[in-house]
Amino acid sequence: MTVALQPEDAIREAPGDEAPRGASWPRYLLEKGSGALVSLLMVVVLGFFVFRILPGDPAISLTRGRRVSAEQVEQLREQYGLDLPLPVQFWNYLVGLFTGDLGTSYTYNQPVVDLIASRVGPTLLLTTTAAAISIVLGLWLGQRSAWRRGSAFDRAQTSLALTFWSVPTFWLGLLLLLVFGGLLQWFPTGGMVTPGSDATGLAWAWDVARHLVLPVTTMVAVVYAQYLLVMRASLLEEMSSDYLTTARAKGLKEDDVRRRHAVPNALLPTVTLIFLTVGGLIGGAVTVEAVYSWPGLGYLTYQALGTPDLPVLQGTFVVFSSIVVLTNFAADVLYRVIDPRLKES
Amino acid sequence: MITDTTPAPAPAAAAPATPPSPSPSRQGRRSPAAERRRRRAAEVWREFSRHRSGLIGLAGLLIVVALALLAPVLAPSTLLLATEATLPPNQPPSAEAPLGTDPAGRSVLVMLLWGARISLLVGFAATAVSMVIGTTVGMAAGHFRGFGQSALLRVIDFFLVLPSLVLAIVLSTVLERGVFTIVIAIGVTSWAATARLVRSQTLTVEARPYIERAWALGAGHAHVLGRHVLPAVLPLVLANTTLTVGSAIIAESTLAFLGLGDPTQVSWGTMLKTALDTGAATAGYWWYVLPPGLAIVLVVLCFTLVGRALEAVVNPTLRSR
Amino acid sequence: MPTLEFDDVRIAYRTAGDDGRPVLRNAVDGVSLVLEPGGTLGLAGESGCGKSTLAMSVLRLLPSNAEVSGAIRFGGEDVTAMRWGRLRAVRWAEAAIVFQGAMHSLNPVQRVSTQIGEALLQHAASDYRDRARRTERITELLALVDLPAEKADAYPHELSGGQKQRVMIAMALACDPELIIADEPTTALDVIVQAQVLEVLTGLVRERGLSLLLISHDLSVLAATCDRICVMQHGRVVEEGPARQVMADPQHPHTQALAAAFPEVGDPDSRLRLPGYTAPRPAVVPGSDDAARAGHAGPGASPGEVVVAADGLTVRYQGRGGPVTAVDDVSLECRAGEIVALVGQSGSGKTTLARSILGLQRPTSGAVRFRGQPLPTRRKELLAFRRAVQFVLQDPSAALNPRHTVYEAVAEGPRLHGLGGDEEEIVARALAAAELSPPERFFGAIPQELSGGQRQRVVIAGALALEPSFLVADEPVASLDASVRGEILALFLRLKHELGLGALVITHDLGLAWNIADRVAVMHRGRIVEEGTAEQVLLDPQHDYTRNLLSVVPSALAADRA
Repeated sequence: MTVALQPEDAIREAPGDEAPRGASWPRYLLEKGSGALVSLLMVVVLGFFVFRILPGDPAISLTRGRRVSAEQVEQLREQYGLDLPLPVQFWNYLVGLFTGDLGTSYTYNQPVVDLIASRVGPTLLLTTTAAAISIVLGLWLGQRSAWRRGSAFDRAQTSLALTFWSVPTFWLGLLLLLVFGGLLQWFPTGGMVTPGSDATGLAWAWDVARHLVLPVTTMVAVVYAQYLLVMRASLLEEMSSDYLTTARAKGLKEDDVRRRHAVPNALLPTVTLIFLTVGGLIGGAVTVEAVYSWPGLGYLTYQALGTPDLPVLQGTFVVFSSIVVLTNFAADVLYRVIDPRLKES
Repeated sequence: MITDTTPAPAPAAAAPATPPSPSPSRQGRRSPAAERRRRRAAEVWREFSRHRSGLIGLAGLLIVVALALLAPVLAPSTLLLATEATLPPNQPPSAEAPLGTDPAGRSVLVMLLWGARISLLVGFAATAVSMVIGTTVGMAAGHFRGFGQSALLRVIDFFLVLPSLVLAIVLSTVLERGVFTIVIAIGVTSWAATARLVRSQTLTVEARPYIERAWALGAGHAHVLGRHVLPAVLPLVLANTTLTVGSAIIAESTLAFLGLGDPTQVSWGTMLKTALDTGAATAGYWWYVLPPGLAIVLVVLCFTLVGRALEAVVNPTLRSR
Repeated sequence: MPTLEFDDVRIAYRTAGDDGRPVLRNAVDGVSLVLEPGGTLGLAGESGCGKSTLAMSVLRLLPSNAEVSGAIRFGGEDVTAMRWGRLRAVRWAEAAIVFQGAMHSLNPVQRVSTQIGEALLQHAASDYRDRARRTERITELLALVDLPAEKADAYPHELSGGQKQRVMIAMALACDPELIIADEPTTALDVIVQAQVLEVLTGLVRERGLSLLLISHDLSVLAATCDRICVMQHGRVVEEGPARQVMADPQHPHTQALAAAFPEVGDPDSRLRLPGYTAPRPAVVPGSDDAARAGHAGPGASPGEVVVAADGLTVRYQGRGGPVTAVDDVSLECRAGEIVALVGQSGSGKTTLARSILGLQRPTSGAVRFRGQPLPTRRKELLAFRRAVQFVLQDPSAALNPRHTVYEAVAEGPRLHGLGGDEEEIVARALAAAELSPPERFFGAIPQELSGGQRQRVVIAGALALEPSFLVADEPVASLDASVRGEILALFLRLKHELGLGALVITHDLGLAWNIADRVAVMHRGRIVEEGTAEQVLLDPQHDYTRNLLSVVPSALAADRA
């Protein structure tokens, strides 16, 4: 048999048989970075739109539920610059954002930035702890469920996850609070540290950890279920893939087929979905913090609802949304590191 | 001309592989379509009924919806007026009030029944808003090209990652209190996932050669979207709807719990809010804390079970058995 | 002792029936075959004939709902009775598989070296625990399949289709197996790449004295590679014998149909002649008055007016690695009553050219002319063109909306164009013209209820419903089973002769061009490198590329071998 082709042609580049190429790093970063930037801009615009334009007269919303004279309203308008034309207001708002000025809280009479700065830490502690536990638990149980789909283990895990997924976070929080905080008194019922305690070092950490148990458990219960279901679906999708047949044909044990081939592939789409749910995690933080009076951004938001303290709400909204946008940008970068298909050839 | 052609079919081509029932040629146009739709519906039902959990969910939903619809018959609305309450407050379950009474002396069972109406109404209405926005935006983002598409994509991505509960909280704060506000607040913050799903389905459908064939036949955007894309997307949207109603009910209760609900209406969320505010929760009045929460879990679980079963029927590859 | 022996093997799949109760569906029905050491056996058959199921059963890789009976002896040992540990030791070390569609058979997130190394570690861990030793072996394996050592660091997505298939072969050779099973190893590859891969595979088998079980739907591929050929249909072996004998003198009608699907270019028996239809020889001198009226002429029509023409057409688009010129200054005239075959490999730009001619892709420069006028861009003004020039797509299962009945699919065109008259009659006539009769029986059917050939007829009927004067067909038989290929091609010939319909048929298959085309244009890297009558181009090719193409057609390779 002879193939009438030039030898160098025969080896690699047969016509019409070219390998695809991926985008380069700078290009990828530019693309994702500009996307994140646009999102941030949209957060800023939405923040202005929702608080200054949607309510009609922000001064009225500001004073909702309180008896105020027309004079006081007028004074408020002036104080918050609401009497200025909208473009000017928007400009002032932008300048404020870039100089780190988010206005002054109505109730606390403090700069909103300071309030937020003092509350970010506890929220990060709560959400990252809950997220880390949920991810480990959800992914581990999810892949076990999928691999033994239809088994008693799978049925039990899936039902449990679906039930937890259907539970309102705040209600679960209330129940745990009543049973373990009130009835059994195993854990403190609120706050981050025992009031009046001046413990430092390890004792302080232990105190915080005890306060952390119930809020974290509540968040994990609701969040891990999602990850379990996503991981399970994602692995089920991979399980009919041809490369698993190749792995089996190579003589691998079923456990190795799963560990080395199926799970790494199933993890990739799962990671994307996990990062997409960061927004949900923050929503959960608001309710959990409200239930356990955890002194974070969520609790601050909750407290600002009653008044309503619009500058604080605007501030937390912008900060929460920006955190989410930036996390997703980080996720995009991470994703390109772990998925070779996005790398340049 | 065409009619003169004498067919000399090869044997294999003479009849369909599974011959459809022969139909009289004159009515052969509309009635088979209707017949097919009926058969398809029966098929979907048969597939669906294989999912036992889906059937359980459906039965549960039918009961809850029936109870909610019948609430005015089962318990007159006057029983909800705190001023008309005749029973002592915070009473444990008894013959007169099987689930006890609330801090105002109203029967918890009656409130639960009436609360179902608001919770379900908000759930369905918010889902409808979210579905309409999601389907429209998703189809547009999947169908059109160029600047419009990238702009829409950006918006979808934005709303997808945005903490929707925070935005819903903000919206319900600045707008006038009421059921309508809650519906809007939930609806406009929860459509992005649907839009993403619809968009990817639109892209899948539009990559199919039959769309290319339609363009080559002279179709316009309306024809392609209306005749080919929408019918292919709708089943998926329907399955997704069922799942979204559940999330919307949870969102409603959460907003109510945060004090953003309509104070004039009884819903499961406002019941829990009162329980917390009046100290019923900490005082150990479990009959006022457990039933509304359990009702939410049950209904949301039913919607989820039905939704997952529907999804498996509509898109078997999505959740391989 | 034979390497591999099937002894009355029956394989059935347990599936849920219509009523939900499990039913058994036979895939393999009493097959007995023997493969001697160092032998090469080709297994031929259409999709669903059970050939892949049989291949997978050798290493017990069938899904868990498969039930196997009979004996599958590998080196005298019954595979069906092996313990798991023994089976895992046999897998890959003694028998390895080259899977179809290497795109999906390699793990997308592992480097080539990891995947080959895994096989080494699995079966010869003591020899290859050392990393350097392993790398050396991997380089050696890649060299065997003509791949440079750097490819070891590549991920599958960075390789072309042919390269991936070579990696699969290299991986299969890793543990020096006695038997290689190759399941459609060259399907979805271009002819030139296919020839290269087959050459690598057969060369290795010969040099190392391996046994090879090769599975393909393409008889000529098997003829070019194997000593013996076995033809399967409906799970049974219908013919078996030495390759040359089966090819030259097929006994069973099914083998004959398969063989006819891969005609030899230059064989007068297959020129404008297909099973079931022979084109009347043109009695008209081209250029005479008759030719001008050919659009409405009866039998023996010859080329008429130019319906569509590409005029210096160039299509460029932005690829990932920079601008790609898919179509490069192409001029082509398409006439009524004439079939033009546009031949080229994938990536040659032929599909882009077809889409531009159909007005579905806007050209970068140059123009498409319809009856002499440039194509308008507005949809309303395009309607006349859309009516006259119709599109027949490659995969009829995908070209029909699965939710629409045959009636709706065929009526779609007339409805879009607001054709008056009795819609039902139009649809019935179009179906009859596409040889689906009686048409009424097909009205209510949905595509899934039809066979592949019938679906393609529905697509053609949908085109005919608008009474066009020209068809553009993109690989119209590439995704059909071999035995229906002839019927659909015969339909094109018939439509040309009886309705005076012209066609531009895009294909990678030179045999198809030989079967039906009046004129052939060869496309390579966006340019038409050669154009002329079918006889001129296929029998006396002038351009190097055309010669290359003709030399690697499997039937030519088979002839070479014989």
